[in-house]
Amino acid sequence: MSTREIFDSRIESGLLLLPTLLVTVVFLYYPTALAFRTSFFDSSFGRAEVFVGLENYVGLLTSSGYHRSIFISVVFAAVVVVGVVVVSLYLTFLIHEVDTGQGLYLISVIWPYALPPAVGALVFLFITHPTLGVLTGPIESLGVEVDWFNNGSQAFVVVALAAIWKQIGYNVIFMIAAMNNVPDTLTETAELDGVGGLRRLVSVYIPIMTPTIFFLVIINTIYAFFGTFAFVDLLTSGGPSNATNILIFNLYQEGFSFFNFGVASAKSVVLFVIVGVLMFVQFQITDRYSYYGG
Amino acid sequence: MTTVTLHNLRKEFDDVVAVNGIDLEIIDGEFLVIVGPSGCGKSTTLRLLAGLEDATDGEIVMDGRDVTAVEPKDRNVAMVFQNYALYPHMTGRRNITFGMKSSGDFTDEEIDRRVEEAAETLDIADLLDRKPQAMSGGERQRIALGRAIVRDPDAFLMDEPLSNLDAKLRIQMRAELAQLHTSLGTTTVYVTHDQTEAMTLGERVVVMNDGQIMQVDEPQTLYDFPANRFVAEFIGDPAMNMLPVDIENGTAVHEAFTIPLPNADGGVRNGTKKGDDASIHDGQRAVLGVRPEDLYLASERPDAGDETLDATVNVTEPLGDSLLLHCSIGETPCKIQAKARSEIHPDDTVSIAYDPARLHLFDPESGNAFYHSESYASSESAAAAADHGWQSR
Repeated sequence: MSTREIFDSRIESGLLLLPTLLVTVVFLYYPTALAFRTSFFDSSFGRAEVFVGLENYVGLLTSSGYHRSIFISVVFAAVVVVGVVVVSLYLTFLIHEVDTGQGLYLISVIWPYALPPAVGALVFLFITHPTLGVLTGPIESLGVEVDWFNNGSQAFVVVALAAIWKQIGYNVIFMIAAMNNVPDTLTETAELDGVGGLRRLVSVYIPIMTPTIFFLVIINTIYAFFGTFAFVDLLTSGGPSNATNILIFNLYQEGFSFFNFGVASAKSVVLFVIVGVLMFVQFQITDRYSYYGG
Repeated sequence: MTTVTLHNLRKEFDDVVAVNGIDLEIIDGEFLVIVGPSGCGKSTTLRLLAGLEDATDGEIVMDGRDVTAVEPKDRNVAMVFQNYALYPHMTGRRNITFGMKSSGDFTDEEIDRRVEEAAETLDIADLLDRKPQAMSGGERQRIALGRAIVRDPDAFLMDEPLSNLDAKLRIQMRAELAQLHTSLGTTTVYVTHDQTEAMTLGERVVVMNDGQIMQVDEPQTLYDFPANRFVAEFIGDPAMNMLPVDIENGTAVHEAFTIPLPNADGGVRNGTKKGDDASIHDGQRAVLGVRPEDLYLASERPDAGDETLDATVNVTEPLGDSLLLHCSIGETPCKIQAKARSEIHPDDTVSIAYDPARLHLFDPESGNAFYHSESYASSESAAAAADHGWQSR
């Protein structure tokens, strides 16, 4: 414990902490508590709240539409997390291996991350639009009919691809830092031993990068559940036939399209619990398989 | 078993010349040590040999095959790094076998057999199932050596492999490395900045500076007959004293003393050119080199002769087995290794005797040696040494 006195008095240190505490309480803890409370009420615009106990939760537990939304969200998260990590690792490895122009490659991979999600979604719409998209022609020339405005599976793939594309930059930034931290002598030893590039990535780099990769898995999971709202909203609005109606979009509609604040709050609590449980499981696995050096 | 030849090997990093056109022949099965200060190009030379750096110019020939542009994996050399370069997430055994398994050139039985052999040679059987973080520095280095020897390479390349070990372990591992080389007989190139390691391990030692080879010789020859000032001052601790002198009538004349140069009319030996600059003539300016252990307190050696010089003591450093005196002879700083427990104090004036068989002269401009007294006085000095009880080298 450091005994160094930085502040003259407790009041001074308390005052300096106050803005942070205030913002956290007002914009994080208070809304969380309020959402939890509202989930036990029937609440909407223009009428008094009525306490309904667990009715909102019972409604969700018995709703097949909501079950389907949970299922879609979990599959979507799995696809996005695995997709982002695998693609980012491979791109990072390619960038790591080139001798010249590393910065240029890095920028070209990272730029989608620098876009606001809504802009990213619109860019992706122009790329893959069933009639106007720049990639639509080439894809259709392979014999695939691009029709994701009507085809649920295609819509799911498009939203997942958009979500992966947007998040790769963030992952590559962390991964390239971690990969550059692997001592050069390990790479050189592998070169002298004739270990091939992909084998080197899988057997040498990835195990050493596990702390970074697990951190990214957690961040990507949160992103897949919460941060992909804009793609669903702007590309598919949850459709067609709810094929892309993931939990975060589902609860947004409940709250801000149907104004059922009580049910929407219950859905946000459920989403919070699902993600919380996933985090817990991931941390357990992380501790078992991560290599933290020494 | 491999002979390695470097022809005019050169390596530039942008505008920095790391290796400046060196020629070197590494004899089959020898233990060659490359030594030099930081940035002298010794590690780059080793990395060029391994193929980890591309040569800017020149060629590397291994057993008659030009390997200058050959990939590292196709050179069949094994490298041991200063930081051991063990894969931290793999056990000792997997560290040793990973490269062999990945290359696909060996059967599982062959790999197992070789690991067992290496484990026995290096006494690492109980380390095979541990990860590097559960090993000490010496144990890690043994695993790294194990990884190198299982591949049965044509040459071992070692880049300061003992630098990360503590002093005691370093001495132990040094002996083990020498023993390992004796039993395997594989050509070994060993890079170090530590001259003690170079002297104790090398069958031949290459001294490098500024990307160039200063001298290649057996350790004792390097010590006794340095080819130039750089080698003279780099090899030996404390470093050789350098005193500016003028040559007059076969004597070296310093502002504070005049000493005769035994047999100053002959050539010079070993590493120095026999040419115009190799003869001693009157009026010539020179730098006289004398090692601290070749200077004695006249009081310690009353039979050392009449030729003495006076020095003023500035600082005394007790080293346990001897007393190192930092002195001034005239204006020139000078170190003298006196007997331990000598009663000498700063500001004392001491009378110094010297070993006439251990004098060296260097050209003040080029730094090249042009005179070593021992080459001519060797028989006389041996007799004199016997008479005086000196330990003549």
